[in-house]
Amino acid sequence: MSVAQEQVSGPAAFKRRGRFRPGDAVLYVVTLLAAVTSVVLLTLITREVLADAWPAMDKFGLKFLTTQAWDQNKELFGARSFIFGTVVTSFGALILATPISIAIALFLTELAPRWIRSVVGPLVELLAAVPTVVLGLWGILILGPFIVSTLAPALHGALGFLPIFGPPPPVGSSMFAAILILTIMMVPIISSLCRELFLGVPSELKDGALALGATRWEMVRGVVFPYARAGIAAAMILGLGRAIGEAIAVTQVIGASVAINTSLFEPGDTLASRIAGQYQGADTALQVSSLVYLAVILLVFSLVTNIIAQIVVRRVAGRHRV
Amino acid sequence: MRAFATRRKRFFGGISVLLVAASAVAALSVSVAQARSSAGELKGAGATFPAPLIAVWQQRYEAAKDVKITYNPIGSGGGITAITNKTVDFGASDAPLTPDQFNACNGCVQLPWVLSATSIMYNIPGAPNNLRITGAILADIYLGKIKNWNDPRIQRINRGFTMPDRAITPVYRSDSSGTTYNYTSYLNTASREWKSRVGKGTTVNWPAGVGARGSSGVSGVISRTEGALGYADVAYALKNKLKFFSVQNRAGNFARPGLVGIRAAAQADRKFSPTNELSIVNPPPGKRFRKAYPICTYSYVLLRIQSQQAALLKPFVTWALTSGQAFGPALVFQPVPKYVVERGKTTLRRVHP
Repeated sequence: MSVAQEQVSGPAAFKRRGRFRPGDAVLYVVTLLAAVTSVVLLTLITREVLADAWPAMDKFGLKFLTTQAWDQNKELFGARSFIFGTVVTSFGALILATPISIAIALFLTELAPRWIRSVVGPLVELLAAVPTVVLGLWGILILGPFIVSTLAPALHGALGFLPIFGPPPPVGSSMFAAILILTIMMVPIISSLCRELFLGVPSELKDGALALGATRWEMVRGVVFPYARAGIAAAMILGLGRAIGEAIAVTQVIGASVAINTSLFEPGDTLASRIAGQYQGADTALQVSSLVYLAVILLVFSLVTNIIAQIVVRRVAGRHRV
Repeated sequence: MRAFATRRKRFFGGISVLLVAASAVAALSVSVAQARSSAGELKGAGATFPAPLIAVWQQRYEAAKDVKITYNPIGSGGGITAITNKTVDFGASDAPLTPDQFNACNGCVQLPWVLSATSIMYNIPGAPNNLRITGAILADIYLGKIKNWNDPRIQRINRGFTMPDRAITPVYRSDSSGTTYNYTSYLNTASREWKSRVGKGTTVNWPAGVGARGSSGVSGVISRTEGALGYADVAYALKNKLKFFSVQNRAGNFARPGLVGIRAAAQADRKFSPTNELSIVNPPPGKRFRKAYPICTYSYVLLRIQSQQAALLKPFVTWALTSGQAFGPALVFQPVPKYVVERGKTTLRRVHP
């Protein structure tokens, strides 16, 4: 995705050949329409969302971002805890998922025997096909109790001096559970992208490094990583986008609490999860509007991560053109 | 590059196989549907609370009257949205419509059609079923003021069992729910502090505890968490074999959420509001309510006064209010009293095509 190719595009592409080709014209129009549609759709969605959020925006203004409350009986709403929860869970999952995914991709492209590749590769991708509801249910029934009985006590015992690993909880519904679920969702995305990236590294370069006496790890560090660096960054951002937007599985395991806790073992909530949890049955117009306001924040979040992604990719790609 | 090409080919191959299979299934189901020409179809959506009973109705009514009923238990809030947007023929909600919602729905009526109770479930290893609890204690647990099962207030009313030294984990519904409305309405009557700090609603600002999605989520968390406590309709507690409390009523007795307790509680309100509301939560003290279980509720069916399907809808709702009630007791749904049936029939007369 980072490799820019010199191509003549636009109408010039089929005019240049001297003879008018209807197939090319049709292709051009169809693809153009598709591209325009996505832009139009995004614009319409943004407009609609902004219009629906307006009553809440009007009433709470920017203070909505820093207010920590969600109380329909007192008509007081704020996004602070949900912004906190979204940032913590999605970046927490990114920190866990990135090394795992890169390791999987490296194993599959550089280290594993062929037959293992053909078994493990599709299995990892299959992980992406597990419906999120099922993943959430698994989170409640298996992962939650496991966190309570094993993971949390172990982490608190070993790393308890860090405030994020507070005292072990009595119940598995927590930000930590959400982070693990999101990690499971991110791994197939990031690892399959990384695998394609690593496969794309020219074998001459790899062979060259090995021929110069590099070990396999030195070859990976010196050739594969630099070559794929921009792509890895992009893959991470894609995974992050997935995590920020995930609603259902997170609602099931995060414990939907408006409190802001430093310990990851305490419940919390995210923007998307709050919207999914309450939009359908919102009682008052203001509550609906506040939920849509959350959606606006989510939209801005995604936009910002995407822009950052593009900047990162461009910069890294510029520095490491091989 | 060749690897890419074969992978893509395989991918499209897989897709086309899927497509063929899907279209075959679709064709099959179409032909089945045509073969079995039914007199009509009614679509509904809403509360999970009456869903077990509606599931029985679907089979029985289709067998008897050849009218197919589909019901999507997406929650009370979803039912209200669906009937407001005219995407269903009937909606269902445990919480009566708010004035805002009535306005939005524009030409809707509601009538009570199902009567049952919300159970308070717990997971205390080694504890017997039907431990005792009061509304004031429940409110203080959910306010975060009582944190341990060995609290003297809980121990005092459960003399036969030594309450363990274990943290209480209160569990609540994170999604919008009529069961939450029923439960918080009860806490509202049981604790002044609850009323001023939290209040009632399909979702409220819970001061303590963890949220779980849907009745299945709540019972899932409870069954996997020692020391947990939470609420769901009683059919759910029975189905999942969870222990539940006997709750103290205002007459001072501890009542179980069974048919007897529900029947007694239903006596608490016989006067319909103009919008057909009946509130039977926490009946007053008195001999009549000696056996009443304090957390009972009617669940409502929502209809449009002007409905294309009126010719099918009216007989179905009438059947549900009369013959349909007979299937209730097996699922701990108490048949609705006669005056509710009469009121329902009167309301139905207004429904027209």
